[in-house]
Amino acid sequence: MKKLAIAATTLLAVVGTARADSVLVLNSEEASYSILSRSTRTELVRLPVGREPHHLMPTPDGKEVLIGSTATNELLALDSKTGERRRVVSNIIDPYQLGFSGDGKWFVTVAYRLDHVDIFHADGFRLAGRIFIDGLPSHMAFDTESKTVFVSLQQSGRLAAFDLATQTLKWNVPVGNTPAGVLVLPDNKRVLVALTGEDGVVVVDPKDGKVTGRLQTGKGAHNFWPKGDGRHWFLSNRVEGTVSMIDTQDMRVAGSIKVPGGPDCMDITADGKELWVTQRFLRRVAVVDLEQMKVVASIPVGKSPHGVYMLKSGPAAPGAPVSPAGGPLRAVSTGSGTTR
Amino acid sequence: MGELTDLWVGVQNWLFETFVGPVIFWLGQMAWYEPAYSAVEFVMLGVVQIVVIALGMRFFERRWPLEKAGDDRLIGVDRVYTVLNKLGIVPFAIFVITYPISQEIELLMRSWGMAPPRLERLLPWLGDNVLASFLVYFVLYDFAAYWLHRAQHAVPWWWALHSLHHSQRRMTVWSDDRNHVLDDFLMTLALVLFSQMVGVQPGEYVSILMVGRLIESWSHANVDMSFGKVGERLVVGPRFHRLHHALANPDERHIHDHNFAPVFPIWDILFGTAIYDGKQRPTGVDDPRVDADNGRGWVVQQVTVFGRFLRAVTPRFLRAPVQPGLRPPAE
Repeated sequence: MKKLAIAATTLLAVVGTARADSVLVLNSEEASYSILSRSTRTELVRLPVGREPHHLMPTPDGKEVLIGSTATNELLALDSKTGERRRVVSNIIDPYQLGFSGDGKWFVTVAYRLDHVDIFHADGFRLAGRIFIDGLPSHMAFDTESKTVFVSLQQSGRLAAFDLATQTLKWNVPVGNTPAGVLVLPDNKRVLVALTGEDGVVVVDPKDGKVTGRLQTGKGAHNFWPKGDGRHWFLSNRVEGTVSMIDTQDMRVAGSIKVPGGPDCMDITADGKELWVTQRFLRRVAVVDLEQMKVVASIPVGKSPHGVYMLKSGPAAPGAPVSPAGGPLRAVSTGSGTTR
Repeated sequence: MGELTDLWVGVQNWLFETFVGPVIFWLGQMAWYEPAYSAVEFVMLGVVQIVVIALGMRFFERRWPLEKAGDDRLIGVDRVYTVLNKLGIVPFAIFVITYPISQEIELLMRSWGMAPPRLERLLPWLGDNVLASFLVYFVLYDFAAYWLHRAQHAVPWWWALHSLHHSQRRMTVWSDDRNHVLDDFLMTLALVLFSQMVGVQPGEYVSILMVGRLIESWSHANVDMSFGKVGERLVVGPRFHRLHHALANPDERHIHDHNFAPVFPIWDILFGTAIYDGKQRPTGVDDPRVDADNGRGWVVQQVTVFGRFLRAVTPRFLRAPVQPGLRPPAE
């Protein structure tokens, strides 16, 4: 009994003190999430969550982070600073990818396996409209005016745009083989789509979906993450085993980092010094030193780690740039993952 | 343990990134990227199992054989079954068919809002203990496998398929995989659906298969061994399972309808089908048509057993007049 008490106290102490510099990682094939210490680069605790957790997203007020438990049709809300469990939001069908519009009014989920896009009023998660669309909807991004959400369709190789207010399809166009990550640039004039079945990204005009450009990055181009300067974005290349840094102003690859093991979702530390990348196949999370532009640590976690999130954030500063899926710039893993 | 996991995952990743991943990419089938990675692990597990059987279990058979004499030529085909199954050739074919079916059923249920949560929601303490969680899901999985096994014996057309497994007169550690592909398919589909229903995670499923199939291979060994008086009531061993393969005789016409459990004998004990008498019996099926499987190769066995299955599903009035029982005749 005494041992149990000591163990419980120790666990509480570890979990309790871990938050200031902790990192959350979703182990998609283990129905669990890991909490890691950024400073010691170790896994502190592993806790159960629903089934097939892939992605997560902070709420617009920054107080909670929502984990999508796809196979149990629910969201688990954690305190975004402490990681403690707050509540479960039920009846969110197949929440594979999730995101809030920049104005915080809309909450959108894409049901990867069930082929539909659900648009909710963010207040109370009230379903406004469900749009069925073939082709494995996977990743999403909002325009900066919070009027449109762009969704990639992996199987059909298309990108679709939906009007948030009317929950209707605006256009649906072919963009390339296995499109995954979607990024709306701050000028709201270009949408980048990563082509996992090819070796780079295409530039799409958000007005009509016309492909206007192309950039080679690496095989299996998959998912974006902002560097935080409004100009550079990171892009994971799953087959190539690299992370490219894209200069979106000049539309060129400004740097490349070798990250083995099917790199997928990313998040950047608040000081901008480290990029954390899930290594799906290696059951690890890589820590990239952005000064050296190389992996300096790789931390064991659970099976098929997918979403990653720095537990730290408060509300986004007014006027702060938005992440690929619309949340506060540094507080999310909208990433995605697709090729499950 | 961490180093072992690293080694395992490192090999899996190397095999995938060097050989499999580029092919998937080249074929433009990136939607299969993750399943293909899991398939590599499945093949690796098969290699490990073959090595354990060939080097570990065979040692006991050679050192302490139960049946010292017999026609060893009968064993060869079982080795073929084992290699085809463990290296994923048969499972791959089954997966290609099973995956979309199980997906559709799961998705249909989920679209109806039927998404059973994992047991951890009901028993939170399970989430804090990986081993306990694994054991609970393993026991549940075995429970389903026990009842499916009973169905294999009770349903005539299923017995027509499953009798191939029982027809072997020379049981060895290679005998476990001796099954008709249709029988494998039905069992796989049922167990995958059950696993999805109760919330077995892919990682756990692989572990369950790994441990479970090794125990089942061992339970077919040609040795008169058990895990001891208490142990043989906890885990199935060769002595317990051999009775399940016993040849029916006039005094025990349904002897093979006992000791069904794949891994945990508790199911036989609970449901009144356990026999612990320690007697040694010859194995096989007392039906000449089924016994004729012995000596045939893999292809001929598959074809002839499928014929047995077709006859069994054909309505009685359409069948040929003479149908000597596919199952041992009733008492």
